Amino acid sequence: MRHPTTISRLLVAVSVCAALGLAAGCSKRADSADALTAAPASAAAQGGSPTSASKLGDLSQFRTIAADVSGFVAKGDLAGGKTRIKDLEVAWDEAEAGLKPRAADDWHVLDKAIDRALEALRADHPTQADCTAAMNDLLHTFDKLAGKTA
Amino acid sequence: MSYAADRPATRWLNKVPEITLAFWIIKIMSTTVGETGADFLAVNAGWGQGATRGLMMSLLAIALILQMRTRKYTPWIYWLTVVLVSIVGTQITDLLTDGLGVSLYVSTGVFAVALAAFFAIWYRVEGTLSIGAIDTPRRELFYWAAILGTFALGTAAGDLATEAVGLGFSLGAVSFGILLAAVYTAWRCGANAVPTFWIAYILTRPFGASLGDLLTQSRTYGGFGLGAASTSLLFLTVIVVLVAAAQFAASSRTRAGAAE
Repeated sequence: MRHPTTISRLLVAVSVCAALGLAAGCSKRADSADALTAAPASAAAQGGSPTSASKLGDLSQFRTIAADVSGFVAKGDLAGGKTRIKDLEVAWDEAEAGLKPRAADDWHVLDKAIDRALEALRADHPTQADCTAAMNDLLHTFDKLAGKTA
Repeated sequence: MSYAADRPATRWLNKVPEITLAFWIIKIMSTTVGETGADFLAVNAGWGQGATRGLMMSLLAIALILQMRTRKYTPWIYWLTVVLVSIVGTQITDLLTDGLGVSLYVSTGVFAVALAAFFAIWYRVEGTLSIGAIDTPRRELFYWAAILGTFALGTAAGDLATEAVGLGFSLGAVSFGILLAAVYTAWRCGANAVPTFWIAYILTRPFGASLGDLLTQSRTYGGFGLGAASTSLLFLTVIVVLVAAAQFAASSRTRAGAAE
């Protein structure tokens, strides 16, 4: 099973480690840059404005979509809301690996709230009352987490 | 290793590939591609998790039937099965964690104990866990069940480290890379090939997932921001080239064998 290519394997192993180390170094710098920018943002967050940072970081791009959906629902355009909330679902899913490690518990709270909103809008016969309740709950969850800066 | 004894009437050659560097590259990259594919169907294509799970389990059943019906290692069928096992193994863990709310500490512990027990049974029945002689249907069933178990455990342990413990994918990729390097060193220094292979097989699951996340996640989160689509396309190209090379080599070996 063993092949006499020890040296080339070793080279591959070493270069992979080096590449990974480099990658880790780069992302560390990115992380600390993140932390620097996050600090003033969270200081300004006490008012609970939509753009404030939570333990999960800046969630404003997700909250903006949720606010759009909420707008559609308020106008009674449930189909429009259903279309728009897909953007939230996709963006949220894409960012999972980046967001979840920051605060897994908060992530799950928000994930469940998004799931309930998706369910309400995608019901066979969605009602404005259900959708409004689910969207209000979702927006409230965003704001609650944003106020809860560590 | 006297496996000439209980051979079935129809002779099987070893049904699984040799463990080379290409084997590990395909194995690591297939994790990312499989997960992106399943995610695309579930979210972007709007199938939802339930329908996607059903489809992947059916595809896995078909691939396993194809794989069990071959009489020798056939690269494309083998690797198709591995990709599907990887997807279904991941889906099982995700269903437990996100669907049923089982703690990752619990699932990691239960999967680890179950896998250890499974290996003990396999060893009692066959007298070996060697993957150098997967040449009877029973051994092959043991092999694939173990592979599924390693993917489920690898997913749970990896998510536990990167998400619940909060290591993140950058530190995760480095940590799992270091662990893999340690296992490789142990093997080079004469540690038994069978346990080192299975440990490496478990570790490559979270290593591949972290590496995939590192490439796909946006720079905001400390990734390279390549996006899931381009990363998967890149990995898929590498996989197709390596599997095609293996398939070509296997076919020419068969032709050479027939010409003798």
